[in-house]
Amino acid sequence: MNKILQYISSSLSRRLRLFIALLATSVFLVALAVMFMQSREAVRSEALEHATQQLSNTVQRIDNILERVEVATNDTKWLVNRHPDCPDSMFVYSKSILENNPDLHGCSIAFEPYYFKEYGRYFSAFAYWNNGKVEVSREGSPSYEYFYMDWYQLSKLLNKPAWTEPFIDSDSEEDVSGDMIFSYCQPIWDNQGNYIGTIATDLALEWLSETISAVKPYPNSYSVMIGRGGTFLVHPDPSKLIYESIFTDCLEGKNPEKMALGQAMVHGEEGVKQLKINNELCYIFYKPLEKTGWSVAIVCPENDIFKGFNRLRNTVIGIFVIGLLLMLYVLAKLIQRELKPLNTLTDQAESIAAGNFDEELPNDGRTDEVGRLCQSFGNMQQSLVRYIEEMKSTTAAKAAIENEIKVASDIQMSMVPRIFPPFPNRHDIDLFASMTPAKEVGGDLYDFFVENEKLYFCIGDVSGKGIPASLFMAVTRNLFRIIAQQEYSPQEIATKINHALSADNDQGMFVTMFIGKVDLQTGRMEICNCGHNPPVICEPGGVPHFLQIKNTNIPLGTCDDFVFQGEVLENTWNTQLLLYTDGLTEAENLRYDLFGEDRLLKAMEKAPGMDSQDVVVMLQEAVEAHRAGVAPNDDLTILCLKLVKDKN
Amino acid sequence: MTRKLISFLAGAVLAVLPAAAQGFVFTPQWTAQAQFAGYYVAQEKGFYKEAGVDVKIVHPTSTQSAIDLIRSNKSQVTTLQLCQAMEIIDNGIPLVNILQTSMNNALVIVSRNNENPIKRKGIRVGTWSVGFDQIAICMCLREGLDYEWVKFASSVNLFVAGALDATLAMSYNEYFLLKQSGVNMTEENVYRFCDHSYNVQEDGLYMTRQCYEKNRGDAERFAQASRRGWEWAAEHPEETLDIVMKYVDEGHVATNRTLQKLMLEEVLRLQIDHDTGKREFRIRPDMVKLANDMMMENQFILHEITYEQLIAK
Repeated sequence: MNKILQYISSSLSRRLRLFIALLATSVFLVALAVMFMQSREAVRSEALEHATQQLSNTVQRIDNILERVEVATNDTKWLVNRHPDCPDSMFVYSKSILENNPDLHGCSIAFEPYYFKEYGRYFSAFAYWNNGKVEVSREGSPSYEYFYMDWYQLSKLLNKPAWTEPFIDSDSEEDVSGDMIFSYCQPIWDNQGNYIGTIATDLALEWLSETISAVKPYPNSYSVMIGRGGTFLVHPDPSKLIYESIFTDCLEGKNPEKMALGQAMVHGEEGVKQLKINNELCYIFYKPLEKTGWSVAIVCPENDIFKGFNRLRNTVIGIFVIGLLLMLYVLAKLIQRELKPLNTLTDQAESIAAGNFDEELPNDGRTDEVGRLCQSFGNMQQSLVRYIEEMKSTTAAKAAIENEIKVASDIQMSMVPRIFPPFPNRHDIDLFASMTPAKEVGGDLYDFFVENEKLYFCIGDVSGKGIPASLFMAVTRNLFRIIAQQEYSPQEIATKINHALSADNDQGMFVTMFIGKVDLQTGRMEICNCGHNPPVICEPGGVPHFLQIKNTNIPLGTCDDFVFQGEVLENTWNTQLLLYTDGLTEAENLRYDLFGEDRLLKAMEKAPGMDSQDVVVMLQEAVEAHRAGVAPNDDLTILCLKLVKDKN
Repeated sequence: MTRKLISFLAGAVLAVLPAAAQGFVFTPQWTAQAQFAGYYVAQEKGFYKEAGVDVKIVHPTSTQSAIDLIRSNKSQVTTLQLCQAMEIIDNGIPLVNILQTSMNNALVIVSRNNENPIKRKGIRVGTWSVGFDQIAICMCLREGLDYEWVKFASSVNLFVAGALDATLAMSYNEYFLLKQSGVNMTEENVYRFCDHSYNVQEDGLYMTRQCYEKNRGDAERFAQASRRGWEWAAEHPEETLDIVMKYVDEGHVATNRTLQKLMLEEVLRLQIDHDTGKREFRIRPDMVKLANDMMMENQFILHEITYEQLIAK
């Protein structure tokens, strides 16, 4: 299933075809279903009307036949009643009824046992056809006691005229394949109203069978007639005639629908029922013969009734299926043709993506959405080519600049001492410094050197960042080295550097700086702070704290004739002095929290006992941890100094 | 041309009779139907031949009833109901029962409109013109029902047409014909004689005593083979039905397989003795006594017919 969905969803063409096919099928199916239902109902109504009409006509025709028999019998009864004491005339009457009604099969005028004493127990004047002639005979014998026969007894018992059920007319018991006949019986009463006999007029069932069997509203439809007890009197299957009834199949408790149909028919109801006969659904239209109590039914297989409709339905469905397939084929071709530029475009886009920027895009002059897409893609391709060209040159230029900056960075870094320990032969100077520019080059600086047992050191921070700051830093560092080597005091050095920087400082740049000079013999330290962050100092056995400086002075380069003031710290043996730039205290994390002076002092609490390098590394790690991955926002420079007095 | 409905026991027609048939002729008392299934089976499965009896089954005709054929010695054995046999013996023809198949009475009265027939006095009740109604008439007289008996030649048409209030029927034959005519059968409208104090055995094989004495060996072998035929039929009802339908088709009998199937089931059921639950194939002296008392009481017979008179000695 997933593979099918994947197969469908991987192609716009397939999705479109499927969508259109589903939509078209749904619309057509709904339309066809409505049409079929309404057409079927119309056909059904028409069939009901047609079959019912035919059935009514048939019943009417049969009733007319039976009516003639009744009239003829009644006429004869009138004659019999006029001469009830004249047995010989009965033969004349029975003969004449047949001669006047050639359709009749026979006629008996039968009397109660010993009614005509001269004839004994049996007297029945029976007229019948023999080779086209009417003949008469006297019926009744010990082997044929007619007064037990239905045709004799029925009207007697009912005390009114009646029609018998069909029975076999046979010469002898060996001839059981005789004609099926049925009789109309009229009771004969004497003048006192006593029953004396019966006139029975016979009719061949075949006569009705032909009339009924001819009713065939549909090619495979057929008619049946059943008697009062459901016995088949007319049926296309001769083996069922007389031998079976409509209830035979229901005897073992099966076929309740057929049972209901049979009951409706034997109770003289009229109507239509649906029933499965031999696994075929049939409509059965039934109507009673009022005179006999029998029922005539027309059995119409549903397939027969709906044959034309089914043919039309199948044709329409066939056309629909073929049309749908054709539509899908045409759609597939059309969509394929319409989407062809897109496919070409896809291939070419992939080619462009692979670096073939000179790939030629399809251009068949179309102005529709696909054409505009191709045109836009072409424009994009051209822009892309131009952009990539520009990128190439820009990248080259940038690479050159970056290379120069790298060189500048190297130069800058080479301007500060980077070899530690800086004075390997001296155990009294524990000094370590680190400078990390925020960009390739920075505006921080530090420096130190020993001249005549004096250690000169400084740390500074140029305003701004990047190349301008780095250049200013280089100038400042060189000024410090040149001026300090003349063994000036820190405030003199500051004044001179300030003077030098202030001259021609059109950019208005400045540098904060902390300058120190330590007498390595006495441990006396002179300092001058030029607007720089206060150092952290930790005396032996003391707590780290910011160095309290009376004259902070102004940054260098801001005021040409400013005279800088310095201070003196006596006996700085084993005192840790930490110099740093604001890249330390103003280091930010994601929440823009500054590292701050408090964290610095807290961190420095671990410093006593550590050498300078460890202190610097410890602080770098603390800052890193605080930034938590955030890129540094300023240059970071730390210098830690401790004069170690050899106890020896 | 005459109009006839077959009525085989309608009186004794002692007209010129055909020459006696060869072998041992058996005549069932009616046209071919499952009522005689065991005999057809014995013939078709060769039980008679195995027993060494050359049996020929000849059905009665409208001009030659079964008892006519027996009287004229054209047939050696026939089936009769116990009451019929007693009537014939009472009329001076000694008969011997060589095999009793029925152990129960099959007679029923079916009433219309779902009414209990023995609660309706003076109603018009149909009965066969050829008899079989002795027990019913005795019951009617005993119960004071005052029925108007109407004899008919056909089976159920008068009842179905509404000309009768009730009709006699055999539980294996007309009962199903009535059902096949759409008559609704309920506990209320069907009175079964066997369920009341009128349970008298019916079908058995009978010979004239004279014929029996002459053919005692054949008679006994015929009876044993017939019994074997019935036992086989009870065990193989479907195959038995096929055999019955063969005889039915040959006799052009107006019936169908379903009716014959139901008839066979019922006939086999009636062969089971209600006391022992077995197929006993014997006359019960108590039933002979019951039939004798009832029939004498109502003058169907004038002399007592005893169990000893009926059985083969």
